[in-house]
Parts: sequence; structure tokens; C-alpha cells
Amino acid sequence: MDDSLNDARAKSAQGVGASALRLEDERYLSGRGRFVADIKLPGMLDVAFVRSPLAHARIGAITKPEDGREDVFVAADLAGVKGIRADSGLPGFRSSVQPILAETKVRHVGEAIAACLATSRAKAEDLADAVIVDLEELPAIHEMTTARDAEMPLVHEHWDENVFLETAVDYGFDAAIAGAAAIVKRTYRTSRQCMAPMEGRGVVATWDNQAEQLVVYTATQMPHIVRTGLCECLGLAHEKVRVIPPDVGGGFGYKGILSSEEVFVAFAAMTLRRPVRWIEDRREHLTGNANCREHHYEITGYAAADGTLLAVDCEAIVDSGAYSIYPFSACLEAAQVASILPGPYRMAGYRCRTWSVATNKPAILPYRGVARTGVCFAMELMMDALARELGIEPHAIRAKNLVPPEAMPFTNITGKYFDSGDYPEALRRAVEAIDVPAVRARQKAGERVGVGFSIFCEQGAHGTSVYAGWGIPMVPGAEQASARLTPDGGLELRVGVQSHGQSLETTLAQIAHEQLGVPIARVRLVHGDTALTPYSTGTWGSRCAVMAGGAVAAATARLGERIKTIAGHLLQVPAGEIVFAGGMARTVNGQGEVSLAEIGRLWYLGPQHLPAGAELAGLEVTEAYKPARDTGTFSYACHAVVVSLDAETGSVRLLDYVIVEDAGVMINPMVVDGQVFGGAAQGIGTALYEEMAFDASGQPMAATFADYHLPGAAEIPAIRIQHMESPSPLTRFGQKGIGESGAIGPPAAIANAVNDALADLGVSIGEVPIKPERVLRAIAERKGQGT
Amino acid sequence: MTAISLTVNGRRHAAEVEPRTHLADFLREDLLLTGTHLGCEHGVCGACTLMVDGRPVRSCLTFAATCDGAEVQTVEGFGEDPLMTRLRGAFSRHHALQCGFCTPGMLTTAYDIVCRLPEADEARIREELAGNLCRCTGYAGIVAAIADVLADPTPASLQPRERPALRSKDDGEPSTAPVKAPARTAETSFATSLPIPERIDGGVSLERRLALDIAPDRLWALLQDFESVVGCLPGAALETPSGSPDAPVTGSFTVAIGPMRANFRGRALVAYDDARRSGRVRGAGGDPVSRSQGEGEMRFAVEAGQQQKKSVLVVALVYRLKGPLSQFGRPAIVADVVDRLLARFADNLAALAEGRGLVHAAPMSGFGLLYQTMSKSMRTLLAKLRG
Amino acid sequence: MKPAPFDYSAATSSADARQQLVAGGGAAKILAGGQSLGPMLNLRLARPGQLVDLSRAGDLRSVTDEGDTLLYGAALRHAEFEDGDVADATPGWLPAIARGIAYRAVRNRGTIGGSLAHADPAADWVVTLTALGAEVVIAGPDGAKTLPMTDFIRGPLSTALEPADVLTGIRLRKRLPGARWGYWKFAQKAGEFAKASAAVLIDAERGETRIVVGAIERAPIVLDDPQAALADPETVLPLLKRLTAPNPPATLALHAAAVRRACLAATAPKDEDMPS
Repeated sequence: MDDSLNDARAKSAQGVGASALRLEDERYLSGRGRFVADIKLPGMLDVAFVRSPLAHARIGAITKPEDGREDVFVAADLAGVKGIRADSGLPGFRSSVQPILAETKVRHVGEAIAACLATSRAKAEDLADAVIVDLEELPAIHEMTTARDAEMPLVHEHWDENVFLETAVDYGFDAAIAGAAAIVKRTYRTSRQCMAPMEGRGVVATWDNQAEQLVVYTATQMPHIVRTGLCECLGLAHEKVRVIPPDVGGGFGYKGILSSEEVFVAFAAMTLRRPVRWIEDRREHLTGNANCREHHYEITGYAAADGTLLAVDCEAIVDSGAYSIYPFSACLEAAQVASILPGPYRMAGYRCRTWSVATNKPAILPYRGVARTGVCFAMELMMDALARELGIEPHAIRAKNLVPPEAMPFTNITGKYFDSGDYPEALRRAVEAIDVPAVRARQKAGERVGVGFSIFCEQGAHGTSVYAGWGIPMVPGAEQASARLTPDGGLELRVGVQSHGQSLETTLAQIAHEQLGVPIARVRLVHGDTALTPYSTGTWGSRCAVMAGGAVAAATARLGERIKTIAGHLLQVPAGEIVFAGGMARTVNGQGEVSLAEIGRLWYLGPQHLPAGAELAGLEVTEAYKPARDTGTFSYACHAVVVSLDAETGSVRLLDYVIVEDAGVMINPMVVDGQVFGGAAQGIGTALYEEMAFDASGQPMAATFADYHLPGAAEIPAIRIQHMESPSPLTRFGQKGIGESGAIGPPAAIANAVNDALADLGVSIGEVPIKPERVLRAIAERKGQGT
Repeated sequence: MTAISLTVNGRRHAAEVEPRTHLADFLREDLLLTGTHLGCEHGVCGACTLMVDGRPVRSCLTFAATCDGAEVQTVEGFGEDPLMTRLRGAFSRHHALQCGFCTPGMLTTAYDIVCRLPEADEARIREELAGNLCRCTGYAGIVAAIADVLADPTPASLQPRERPALRSKDDGEPSTAPVKAPARTAETSFATSLPIPERIDGGVSLERRLALDIAPDRLWALLQDFESVVGCLPGAALETPSGSPDAPVTGSFTVAIGPMRANFRGRALVAYDDARRSGRVRGAGGDPVSRSQGEGEMRFAVEAGQQQKKSVLVVALVYRLKGPLSQFGRPAIVADVVDRLLARFADNLAALAEGRGLVHAAPMSGFGLLYQTMSKSMRTLLAKLRG
Repeated sequence: MKPAPFDYSAATSSADARQQLVAGGGAAKILAGGQSLGPMLNLRLARPGQLVDLSRAGDLRSVTDEGDTLLYGAALRHAEFEDGDVADATPGWLPAIARGIAYRAVRNRGTIGGSLAHADPAADWVVTLTALGAEVVIAGPDGAKTLPMTDFIRGPLSTALEPADVLTGIRLRKRLPGARWGYWKFAQKAGEFAKASAAVLIDAERGETRIVVGAIERAPIVLDDPQAALADPETVLPLLKRLTAPNPPATLALHAAAVRRACLAATAPKDEDMPS
């Protein structure tokens, strides 16, 4: 680091609300991050999997090469290993078991059939080339909308229908639709995507003879859950397994899972008593793990003549793929659709049916935004359709129906408790910033441009009360954190969540700084390692700032009380008159001070100076935290975008993009901006670029990033962010979960803008990504209708 | 193994590498320089970008064996380099990294932008960053950090240099003799008896109509000789003819698309309809090496030509690929290869019908060495057909 | 994924490369910049037995001024064209073309000869050199031969190169400042494969006018009557319909748009010349 940077770090404010520079940057910027693929242990073997080239097939004979029989594993070699099972407790759920290596059938392209071990990945692939597998192909299900048809083959033979779960809710629907002046019914669809963190999955496992323990280094968002899952599959007690996440190169939900590869590598290391490594390559990721976002909606909106939204009716299908994944199950996404579709709007009636269908594709996983992105897409496109039907501006119909600030806190039609905020103000600011009249003027002048909005709220950090209702294997409860003052006045924090880019090493240090005044450079965060950190469900659901942040605040507060007792004794004032600043404990009148280093030294090395009782109140505490009401925070945002559309090429350019965002109190505004920018770029990928198509036999149609397009710097505009800051009354500092928000709004806003730009042609697009060919096809079809 | 000698981050290294080992793996696995990350190994994501001879390159598409005499600079090797120091500071101040995985490649590209394009504006920075994907930041901080450093430039200490051309030895022998790779020669067979499909839904279909200078009766008679008909399809070989009308024939079919190739082995059912003078071949085969499968149906029919003693052969093909070869993202290229194959088949058939020698004998290929690597039986067959 | 094993040798010259190809007995394949072959090797879709590395063959790394023409060595890299490190036979068109190829890190390794030998129909050099009327020089068993681009590119990923041939150079006629040029390509994403492209050369002094349609998943199409297309670009769509029947209408329309825009670029007033 250069000196000016160190100066900047030293000078910058460090507590809650400061854009403190990140503590984790230095190691990444100098190439010293340690990711899972960087781990190299003596005697380590690399794994290459033989993966299914077919989407659905019965497995016949598997022949291992003569010279590699010992080094090739198939399902029959996994004695005592259980498959991965994640059932929902909801009535009617159909159960699936995902084998670690395929047993009698393969159910999607890329499913692992055999594992080959060698001293390098290249040699392991040579070995995999020599394994002979006989597959008898079966008809594959590649399309969610027909998966339930009677003549369809079954993904799981023992089921009677390709459906994991069907749900239905009805909140006063029939009564609400009377008197509707406008009724629009639309079909919308979001394509299957690959989450594509820049680092794929990867796992290194080794057996520690000294600890008599399996040690698993894995790129994961939820190390403790992976440990529990490994114990279940391998039949081990928890104390026999330690999971250590190294630096994790992005996750976005992709690493919020117990993967079959983790189970295999752990099994192999345990069995062979040698370190074993598997690093997912990009082809495996794209062809075998394309696994999110694929939704289909038939949605009907009912509105009064003045634009008042009366009711919404929806039938939603989620393509859940072949298996129910651990721990979120195959039905989390559809369950979420039903509960959050109404979005930030008031309405009198709502009805929704959902199907989580099984297909011969990889299992679906909750990707950043989870169902919210699809739901926002369906709801916000429908709102635009209603506006067009009624001849009013899209922002006007939204303003009419948003929950107003005076109604906060507000319980919506599905029972969601909106904690705080001013949704209409977010819309108003976005409308102003994007300059709607200027766009209308350009349209009048003949330019093919369009403006689009989306507004949504993001429930984050929701806990027991919400997840218990969804009946999945993992219900989050209180979050724990440990805080320890070191003998020289440093602070060690331990949390069970795992950063995979969220800047937790910095933001949690800021919270500790807020409580104890310790410079953040002296705060060390230990995260993830199951041997060192309290149990946690991990990093998902935009929960870390609220839950881990709250836990760190609680632990450091308790630690602070103990430090104050000692400081008060040393400074001869009551503990209540001690405050913390700059690594010192001071009297409120400023007349005495003692450093935290001195207090630490005394407790550990000079206990004879401690007051009575202080020796038993150690300088290391673990506290559990849970908001008094755990229904979650509701951050919200309005996205506004201006696009230009080239009707000859079908290409869409983003001319301007505004996000008005309310994350409550921001712990680190720079980090919040980073989350919003990054999420929005992913949302733009969903909107315009990213699609993993499957052909009729279930073959994925892209194997490299040359075919699966992630947006690059040239595809992302300079996004303008405006912050509102309405504190959540539910959380420790008023902070709200914000990690996923950016990824929710773009598909809806961009599609609405594209449709605005195409309105004069009578063309409307209801499917993302809006690739050029999709636009050209839509225009051509419309022309074909002769209008 | 190939012996190389190169400089990495200022230190000389002599090493023996497998020719197939790319530079990133050599650095990561042999030199334990794990700052260079692999994000795709297809040259698209840019995570592995590093400096070779002062220029950013993809280390996943650069074989270590080609780096003899090179100067390699990885993210670990910039030390106190003033420009890299400023870039690092700007990346931190502008929050240009979150998970840090793309960062080494991003810094390398940023370094190149700053020293090569001092006038770059925001649009140019974004264009130049096209080859480096970041999934976390949305690029906002990265673009801002580079613009920040460009606004107040620092001279780059790392400069491009040209590695000298290789010099041949005086005896005219190649300066490096090829090193033999240990090949794994296991004969693999992925699917030994693929079912022959009744029909192919959703496949690619092509049709050609070929006017021939031959009477329909004679053409129809010629088509009864299935082995000769197969001989007209470049790259195809019949292994066992059918014993009865209901039993399939077995054979193989080699096709190359650029440097990729596949040798499908499988079975086909052949049916003739004398009354209609038409026929149908349905088959399926697998390529064990790529673990890909293909299935197809070819219908053919003889029609009378406009004049006497002339006929039209109508050939219609439907096919579908499965497995890795089908996941190649540009199916239109495959379709064109098949289309040209069909054209050659038609040419050959015409030549056969008209009593001439085959026009096209080698399998379809833009990669001519295929012919040499074809199975012996195929070469024998082709030789026979040519003779 | 990692490549299947192969043998490797570096050629000191094109003659050396030829010898090694012959010695390799058909299993040997040329490695130029490796930017297209590399991914296919890494995916094990290509499994050559041996690679002969051309990247440091001295005679393939130079430009020869032949008077009316320039002969470019096949192992010259895209970045060397982009940076103006090699003489430009055109009034400044080659750097702009080179700049549009993939990404800088790829351009630093990828070579013009490698690009032509790979013959991706969407490749910039394949389309633009066809339009510029380039010739390729090939060293083969019977000595050197020269082929026009139109005979060299046979189809997607298919060329006239025989197993023991080495593409050694590309010959371009010098274009005077009065010549006009337009190249337009459509790629959904910066640096990605073009989905449509077209190049237009109008060289009145030499009496050459050429319009080439690329990225059409077959060998580039050289329009028979470029003047007609220039006079009325609307005639291109029906023409393309005839020439590339199986393409869906939206695709054809995109290709026609590419031709229109390339024509526009070539005929626009000079000061509005588009760089690419």
C-alpha cells in the first residue's frame, strides 16, 4: 500500500456510517488471497468427474480402465454414504434423493457418474477419458410448462407427477375484482441462468490424524451447514468434521449448498487418508450447474378506472430441476413467489398458485434476489400493461398503489410486515432523476428510446418465524458472535457467517469500533471455520449486516461492560462513567484514561490488579442476537432506466440508469454502493444477456463464456445511486439487508423501458434476457400479423 | 517433458514442463504463485491475465512450453512498482474489488491501459476492460480507479519487449525436437448399442435435390447397393452389412469441424420402398472420445427428371447431436458442415450413378490430417472405392 | 479442463515448421497464437498429437514491401497491427480492424495467419481481408503457392490448407488515400463473436469495388454486383435470402443491416469516417 492510502485509512472515520476502506483489500491486491484452488497439500490427488452427456438415461455397465481400477470410484464404491436429501415439511412435498455419484439413472446433463483421482487434474481427466459408461437414453423433460402433462416421463420413477410441490393461496380474491375497469392478463418468463461467480466451487479435504478429524476446505457461503450435511451423508459425528472456508471468490447463492462433490471429496480423503482436491472448471459450471431463475408466470391484474389496483391473480411455475437441494429444498423459490408477489403495493384481493416442477436439468438454487427478481419482473410488467391499458403514465399507476409512508409499519395482503420506509418518495426521486418528460420529447422527435421503472421491496434477514413456515431443513434462529480482547488491546471477532466478497472483515470491524473504539486495523475477523466460530446458517438472504452485525454488537457490548468494570476500577470512577475512544477507555469527564492494551495485559498477565469478580468475567464473550421481531427488514428501491433500441439489430443500449435505494442505516456506504452496483450488473445480465438454453433433449447450449454472456464493463452503464436512509425499527443500528437488492430491479425496469420504446409498433416483450434475436423476432411476428 | 528457462517476477527458473501445461498451471502448481487465478480456461474471463514480455496475455491460453526465454510478471511480482502501487491504492479507494478473484487480471489490464492509452476516457476504459469479467462490482469502482490514475499518470516501469526469434542450428535440424507425450491409449467406447430412434423431433433438417444424368430405373438399381451408397458419404464406413431387412448395419462416421473431430460408431436401419422408389436410413452413433452422440434420419427418393434418362434424387436429412459436441455454442457452423457434407454426398452419388470415380473421398474436414488418422479399414475401403 | 497430452516443438522458420509437420506424419498441427485453438485444446475438443509452434519463426514475423503490395508474415500479431508496429498497406484501416478483435490480451498473442487458418466465419480478418482482395501465401510440398482469400476459405473452420502446408504470409495491395472503406459488425457484447458483419471496399483508382458479408456461418459471401448494392442497399436482403436459404428472417435482416451500415460507412463524407 502506498503511504497516502495508509494515511487515508488512518484519517477516515471508522464507525457505523463511515465509508472505511476495506481491510481485506491489501491481500487481494497483492495476489495473497488464498482461494480453495490455491491450497496444495503434500500427496494431494486431484479429481475429475465423468459426467453424464445425456439429460436422462439409465446407467448400464461402467467399465474402469485396467490400469486405474483403484483410482476410479463409482456409486457402488461409496459404501455407507447417503445421498443428499432436502425435504420440505409442507404438505404434498415429493421427496428426491440426489446420489453422490449417479446410481441407476442420470437425471441431468453433467450429473457425476464416476470420480477419477490422479496426481494432477490433467492426469485425472486422462483417466476419466478411459472410463466406459453405457447409457440407455430415456426421454427427457426440458420444458417446465409441459412437465406436468400426463404423457410425460417421470424424473423420479416413484412419483406420480413431475412436481415437487404445489401451493395455493387466496386472500379475498373473488370479492375484490368486482368493478374492475381494466383487466390485463399476461404471460411472462425468465430464462435459466448460471450464477457464475468468477471462482467456481471447489473443495480440498484431508484427514487430520492428530485431531482424528476430517478437515474440509471448501468454497462455501455456509460452512456450518455444509458440516452438518457432510455428517449426515457420511455418518460422522460433528466433532469428526471441521469445515474451513478459504477466501471465497463470489457466491451469490451458488455456494449456498451442500454439493455432491463436497461429499465425494470428503469421502475420498477419509477413505484414502490422502488429501483430495476438486476444482470446478467453467465447463462443469455452465453445462452441469445451470441452475437458477427459470420462472413462468400467468398473471392477471385488475384495476379500477383511476388506476387503483384491485387484485392480482397468478399461476407461477418454477423449474426446480432434477433434485431438491440441501438445505433450501426444491420449493423455497416457488413458496417465495406466492408470498411476495404483491410487492410494495396495496391491493384488496390476491390469489396465487405455484408449482415447483421437476425437469431433467440441474437442481435450482436460490440466486441473488431468489424469487424476487422473477416476481418483480412479473408484477412490474403487469403494472405497465395496466397503465398502458388505462392510458396513464407507468409511474402514475405505481404512485397510486404504493404503500404510503404514513401506513408504516404495514402488514400487506400476504402478512408481510414492512418495517419502515417511504416508497412513493423513492419513486418520486427516480422519476425526477430520470427525467421522464425529456424521454417523451425524444420519442416525439422520432427517437426509438424508452423509459422504464421497477419498484420493489426486499425482505432480508428474515428468521425463524418465516422459515419455519416454509418447512425446509434449515430454519435460522439467533446469530452468535464471539469477541475477545487480546493482551495488547487488539480485538478478535469470530462469526459463523462467511464473507465471499461482502466486506465483512471491514463492516463487522466497524461495528466493533462503534462499540469499543478499537481502531479497525486492530480488529481481526475470524469467519467461517467451524472449529473456531459459533454455529451459523451462513451468509445468504441479505442477513449478515443485520444478524452478524447485531451479534457482533451484542458481543462487543457485553465485552465493553467487562472492560468498563476494570477501567472504572483503575480510574476510580463508576463503570457507567467510562467511554471508549481511539483504543482507550476514558472517564466521561476526560480526566482519566487507560488503554485497552493495558486492560488486556492486566487481565491476562497481571490479574492481581483486577477488581473483585473481574477475573471471572473474562475478556472473551459469545453472545446470541436476534431482532425482537424476526420477520425481516424491508429495504426497497426504485430503478429507472432509459434505453435506446435499434430496431434493425434488436440491440438495446442503456443510456441512463438511476437507482433510488433505502438500506436503512448504512454501516459502510461505500460497501452498500458496491453491493448495489454489483447486484445491478447481475440484474442487467438477467435482463439482456444471460441465458442457458436447453434443447429438446435436455442438452445445455453453451459450454463457455463465449456462448454464455456475462455483462462486461462495456455493457454496464454508469449507474447513478441515490440513497434514502429510513432506519429499520427492528435492528440494532437501523440497518437493513441490502445484498440482493441490486439484482432484483433491472429485468423489470429494462423490459418496461424496451416495451415503452416499442410501444408505437405494438410490440411487447415478456421474456428475459431481451437478446437481439428476441427483439427482432417479436417485431417480425408483429409485422407478420399485418398491423 | 519440455525444458524451459524463463524469468518470473525477476527470478530465473529452469523447469521441465509437460507440453500441455498452460502457463497459469505452471505458475500455480509448480512455482506456487497462486495470485494468478483461473476463471474459465477458455480465454474469455480474463482472471488469468498476466504480463509476458511486458504485455498482458491470457495465461490459460499460453502454454508454459512456449515461454522459453520469456519474462513473466504476475500480480505477486510488481513489488513497489510505482504505477502498480498507485493502481492498488485507487482500487481500494474506489472499492474496485469485492471477492478479489478477478483482481489480479484486472490490475494487469489496468496497468496496460494506463501505460498504453494515456488519453483513454471512460468509454475507452470500458471497452478495454471487455476481456476482464468481474461478477461482484458492476465495474463502477474499477472504471473509476483507472480513470483516477489516468488523471495523474505515473510512468510504467514495465515495458513491452520483443523476445528474439528462434535461431536454427547450423546443421539445419529443427532447434527443438518434438518431445513425445505419454499417451493414454485406452480404447474407449461410450455407448455400445444406442437405440435407433423411431423419429427425430426438434432436430436440424436439410434437403437437397440433385439432378442426375441417368435414368430413374438405373439410379434406383444403384441405390440398392447400400455399401456403395455409404461409400459416397465422405468419412463414412460400413463395418457389418445387414443380414436381414430388420437387422441394422453397423459402421462409423468421421467428421471434423476445424480442429475438432469426432468418430461416431453406431448402427443404422435401412429400408427401401420399391413402390415409391424411396428409402430411409435411420441411425444413431456415439463418439467415445468426446462422449457425444448423434442420431439422424436420411430419406431419399428418386424422381423422374424433366427429360428422358434424367432423374432427380431428393435427399432429406434430419439429425440431432447430444453431449459436448452439441454444447458447442454455434450450431449454425455444425449445420453448414453437415450441409456441405450432404452436397458432397450428392456429388459422389451422381458420380457413382454416372459411372465416374468419387469426387470427394476424404472425410469432411478443415483439418486435413484427419485422413491419416482414419481407421485402417476406412482407408482400405476408400482405396477400394477409388480403385 | 486441461488438454489431452500432445507433443510440442518450436519452429525456427516456416521451412522448419514444414519439415516438422511432415515428420509428424499427419498428427502434427500448427500452433500460431493459440487463442482459438487453446480453448478447444483445453476442452479436449481438439486432440492433436503434436503442436508445431510458429510464434517465433523469424521469417513469419516480418513485412516485405514488394512495391505494389505488402507481404505480411503470418505470425504477426493483431496487436502489432493495432499499434501501427507494422507498415499499413491501407490508409489507416488495419489498426481499426485489429482493435476490434476480441480483447487486448488475446491480440497480444493471436496472429493474423492463425486467424485465417482457423477460418472462423465471424473473424474480423477473414471478412476484411476477403474484402481487401488479399492473397494468402502457402508453403507446401510443391513449394510456395498463392491463393486469393475467396479460394482459401472453404467454409466455417475450413480452408484450402493441406496437412503439410504452412500459411506463411498475407499479401495486400497498397491502397491510396482516395480509396474508401467501411466495416461494420454486430456483436452482442464487446469483444465477442460477431453475429453479423460486412466489409466494403471502394477503390476507384484501381477499379476495385467489393462487398463482403461475413459471420454468416459459411465462407464469406462476396457480392457479385457490389455497385447495385451500393446504389440500392435494399436489394441486399432478397439477395441474401437466395444465397443463405435456411437462415430465419430476423437473422437475414441483421446481415442486410450490416451491409447497409458498412456501405454507409464507406460512402459517408470523409470527416465522418467510422473507425470500424
